[in-house]
Amino acid sequence: MNLGYQCMSFDVLFNQFMSGIARASLLFLVASGLSLTFGVLRVLNFAHGSLYMLGAFVTYTIWKTLLIPVVGFYVATFLGALVMGGVGIIIEFFLLRRLYARGWPEQLLATYAIVLIITDIVKWGWGGEFLSIPRPKPFTGAVLLFGFPFPSYNFFIILLGLTVVIFLWWLIYKTRFGDIIRAAAHDREMVSALGIPIPWLFTWIFVLGSLIAGLSGAVTAPFGSIALGMDVEIIVECFAVVVIGGMGSLPGTLLGSLIVGQVYAFGIMFKPELALAFIFMVMAAVLIVRPWGIFGRPER
Amino acid sequence: MMQRSEVAVNNSTIKRSWWLILLIIAFLIAPLVMSKFYLTILCEALVMSLFALSFNLLFGYMGQLSFGQAAFYGLGGYVVAMLITKLQFNFWLSLAAGAGMAGLVGLIVGYFCVRLRGIYFAVLTLAFGQLIFVIIFKWHKFTGGDDGIQGVFPPEYLRSIEAYYYLIFFVCAISAFILWRIVNSPFGQALKAMRENPERTEFLGIHIARYQLIAFVIAAAFAGLAGAVWVPFYRSVAPSYLTWIKSGEPVMAAILGGPNIFFGPVLGMFIMTFVHSYILGFTHFWPVIMGTIILIIIFVLPGGILEFAKVKITERREKAKIAKGQT
Repeated sequence: MNLGYQCMSFDVLFNQFMSGIARASLLFLVASGLSLTFGVLRVLNFAHGSLYMLGAFVTYTIWKTLLIPVVGFYVATFLGALVMGGVGIIIEFFLLRRLYARGWPEQLLATYAIVLIITDIVKWGWGGEFLSIPRPKPFTGAVLLFGFPFPSYNFFIILLGLTVVIFLWWLIYKTRFGDIIRAAAHDREMVSALGIPIPWLFTWIFVLGSLIAGLSGAVTAPFGSIALGMDVEIIVECFAVVVIGGMGSLPGTLLGSLIVGQVYAFGIMFKPELALAFIFMVMAAVLIVRPWGIFGRPER
Repeated sequence: MMQRSEVAVNNSTIKRSWWLILLIIAFLIAPLVMSKFYLTILCEALVMSLFALSFNLLFGYMGQLSFGQAAFYGLGGYVVAMLITKLQFNFWLSLAAGAGMAGLVGLIVGYFCVRLRGIYFAVLTLAFGQLIFVIIFKWHKFTGGDDGIQGVFPPEYLRSIEAYYYLIFFVCAISAFILWRIVNSPFGQALKAMRENPERTEFLGIHIARYQLIAFVIAAAFAGLAGAVWVPFYRSVAPSYLTWIKSGEPVMAAILGGPNIFFGPVLGMFIMTFVHSYILGFTHFWPVIMGTIILIIIFVLPGGILEFAKVKITERREKAKIAKGQT
């Protein structure tokens, strides 16, 4: 390791740390929806990454058709997220709803089938090209952090991540809807007995998850580029996030994202081709100590 | 319900094995009557069936869904490809090394996975499977990265499709027999007991984690063997062999054919492989068709084709019994 004098200086580390935070923010955006759906519905949505990918492509198309100056990207992102919410309604209402009474392997396989179908829809609709949206104002340039340029769009991602963290925290811990969510995650039969329509709750949770997935897909378009295969790339990292943090736990997802984001950012410094492998090593280490993740609870 | 039917199968094994003998004869004469094209597909179906059987040892018998089984399949393939192309290693020893390496990695991965159940197990196997995929995909210098490895040739006497077909058939048949013996042994019964009631099994003094780890290693080794025997036939290996799309195939085959019946996944794989080759004739959109088939099976044929057939046959027999009793 020839890190030595070359990169151990504080400014490089700080820069790496900040890009790790940006990555963690994006990971949290995607993984939070996954974790929320699992926590309440007890369905692990393999297709969550596909919703994220479809959201990115839909947003791209909306942006390209509307071409509104200045705020075009934000409008497209908003609409793209809404469209994905709609897709979420369709998936929950026509597929998942009919499977809650069945075993989890069938639920898992159904969401896996959606992965395959969405992959082909994207391939058919947009082809295999790399697409990108230029960075929107006012996040076009770069900010100098200790002399190193840091894309200001990353701050937008970090801000958005923070907003979603606060929003979810408020929703789950401060509202009546949140009380119901937490109660249903704990004992859905009891909640149902209290007269709360569980199917309705499930639909809204799934829609919320899909909406966040679409939103996070939309904001990746200016982040790097969007292409076929981005779904698998992100979902695998998200699984690492929720496994480390504990599936179904919001604080766990946040912590998991921060860990994975930082491990990735610093792993890339050591050995770029093994950055992902480092993440899984950390995951294995966590699992030895806590098989259900840091904030997870043993399954019933 | 299931236990009763399994006992019934044991009792009348000899009476019912005529179809198995017929099937073996059919497989033996297949190269004489089939075109090279269909023989190739048959080879693929056989190899994938072994892959599906290895998966179903965990899923159908132990009750744990592994979504990373393709990692072992691909690993077996890569070991053979690298030994043969880089070291000109003996073909038969390469096959053994492929299975052995998959089993060894299965031991490490399994150590972490068997302590979890249900969805947690599925996610963890998926994550480890992807880890192995990423290592092979990114380690360009050693594994060839996304180019894969080409020019993996079997020895001269196995170069023809027919000769290699017999090799594949014997490897698969013997492996299937071993797996069949395993699931019907006391060890297999212990696995089934864990699936039905883990707490009670533990009270009986069975160390669940150890049993599941042994089963995991066996499954990994057979998946590795399937990959190892396939790669020299296909002459190349690529990282796509290790992806979760590939891992999904045995899951689907098991659900299609019926995970509770030993040959269920084999039937599922045969249907999938032949449908796949048929569909590729006019479209490249195979995933969407595979996805639709999965959804149809889940909604229309819960328990798989064989389970559906079994239920229908039992119903009919009972009806016949009732009719007999009345007259």
